[in-house]
Amino acid sequence: MTAAALELDRVSSGYGEALVIREVALSLAPGEIFALLGKNGMGKSTLLKTVMGYLPLAAGAVRLFGEAVAGLPPYRLARRGVAYSPQEQALFQDLSVGDNLRLGLADSALFAAGLERVGAFFPFLPERLRQRAGTLSGGEQKMLLVARALMARPRLLLIDEISEGLQPSIVQKLAEVLRAERAASQAAILLVEQNVHFARAVADRYAVLKRGEIVDSGRLDDAGAESRIVRELSV
Amino acid sequence: MSAQFLDIVTTAAIFYVVAAGLLIIFGVMKIINFAHGGFLTIGGYAALIVTQLGLDPWLALPFAALVGLVIGALVERFVVRPLYARPLDAILATWGLGIIIGQLITIGFGREVQFVQSPVQGAALVLGESYSQYRLLLVLGALLLAALLAAVLHGTRLGLMTRAVIMNESLARGLGINSGLVRFATFSLGSALASLAGALITPLSSVDPNMGVPWLVNAFMLVLVSGASLVSLGVATLVLGGAQVLISAYGSPILGSLTIVVLAAVILRIRPQGFARE
Repeated sequence: MTAAALELDRVSSGYGEALVIREVALSLAPGEIFALLGKNGMGKSTLLKTVMGYLPLAAGAVRLFGEAVAGLPPYRLARRGVAYSPQEQALFQDLSVGDNLRLGLADSALFAAGLERVGAFFPFLPERLRQRAGTLSGGEQKMLLVARALMARPRLLLIDEISEGLQPSIVQKLAEVLRAERAASQAAILLVEQNVHFARAVADRYAVLKRGEIVDSGRLDDAGAESRIVRELSV
Repeated sequence: MSAQFLDIVTTAAIFYVVAAGLLIIFGVMKIINFAHGGFLTIGGYAALIVTQLGLDPWLALPFAALVGLVIGALVERFVVRPLYARPLDAILATWGLGIIIGQLITIGFGREVQFVQSPVQGAALVLGESYSQYRLLLVLGALLLAALLAAVLHGTRLGLMTRAVIMNESLARGLGINSGLVRFATFSLGSALASLAGALITPLSSVDPNMGVPWLVNAFMLVLVSGASLVSLGVATLVLGGAQVLISAYGSPILGSLTIVVLAAVILRIRPQGFARE
C-alpha cells in the first residue's frame, strides 16, 4: 500500500498555550489535490505552518510519505520535497525574478531545466529574469510564487490562498498549471482557500475548517458539496 | 588639497575594512557584535606575533584572518548560537566577550603598547604629493575586499542564500536554506574580516589590549547608518570619514575624533534608514 503523501493524525497546534487547531485529521494521497476551506482566522494558515515545521505540535502526528516529521525544521522539510507558498511576504521583493526562482532549487545547476519547465507554464518569466520581483504586478507575483514552488518538482505543495485578490483569468491559469503539474509529476497539493470556485476547479477533495476543527469534508464533485461548503462558510 | 583628498580616500578605505565584518554580521544575524573590537585586537596581536617571529609581514594578514575565523566559529557555536532566540542577550554576551578578549590578551602579552613591522615602507608620489604607500595600499585592499564580498554575495549560491536570509529568514528556511549554517558562516567570516582589519591597521598605529575600542565605536556608528548594505557602507565611510578628516584638519583632532559618532547620530535623527535605500 502506498503511503500517504501527507497525513495529519489528530493534530493540535497553535501559538504558545493558545491552541488554534484541534485534533485535525486528514490525509492526501500522492497525486491528490486537497482544498482546505475556511474563513479568515479559522486556523488554515496555522495548519500549514504546523505541517511545515514553523509551529510545534501540541498533540498528534504529522507524517510525510509515511515518515513522522514532527520537530523537523522547515529547511529539512523543504529538502524532503515539500514546497510551501505562504500567503504573506512570500517573495523576496528586492531580489530578481531569476534569483527568486533559483531559491526554489537546492542546486542552482538545475536552473535551466527548471526554468524551461515553469517557463512553459508562465512564458513571461524567462523574459524577465532580471526584473526585481517587487515590481511585478500582483498577478505576476502570484504566478512567480507558484513557479518557484514548482522549480524543484516537489512531492508535496502547500499553497496558502494563492487566488486571493486575483482576476478570474489568472485564477483559471493557476488552476490549469496546478492540474498540469499534478498530472506530470504526481505531486500532492494541499490548497488553503476561501475561493470555492477555484477549489472546485482544481481539487479532488475538501475539508472545511471552522474554529480550528474540521466540520465538513468530502469530494468536491459530490452532489451537494458546494451548497454544504457555502453554508458552512457563511455561518 | 591633494593631500586632504588622499587622506579622505584612505581614511574611508580603512573604515570600510574595519566595519565590513561588523556589517555582514549585523545584516544576517540582526545583532551588533560588540566583540568586533576584540577580534580587531586579536588581528593586531596576530600581526605582532608574526613580527616577533621575524616572519614576512605579509603573512600577518592570512594568519590574522585564520585566527579570527577559528575563534569566531567557536564563539558562534558556544556563545552566540544558544542565544539566537534572545538577541539582546546575544548582544550583551558579545560585549562581555570583547572585555574577556581584552583581559586575556593583557595576561598573555602585557599592557604595553607595541609595534608591528609594516609590509610596505616609504612613500609614493601621487597627485603631486608624497604619500604613504601603505595607506594607498589599503585603498586597493578595501576595493579588493568590496569586490570580493560583492562577488560572493551576488555571484554564488552561498551569497544568494545569505541575501535571502538577510531579507526574510523565515521564508528562506521554508525554501530549504539552513539559516543556522548561514549564520555560522557569516559570524565566522565577519570575525575573520575583523581580525584581518586589525592586522591591516596596526602598521598605521600600535598594538595594545584596548586598540579595538575606538574602532568599534566608529564601526558601530557606520553600520547603523548603512543598514545591511555594503554599498551604503562605502558611501557612509566616504562621507563620514571625509568629514572626520576635514574637521581634524580645519578644526581640531579632538573634534575630528567625535565626528563620526555625532554626524551618524544626526543623520539617523533626520533619516532613520541612514544611507540605506529604504
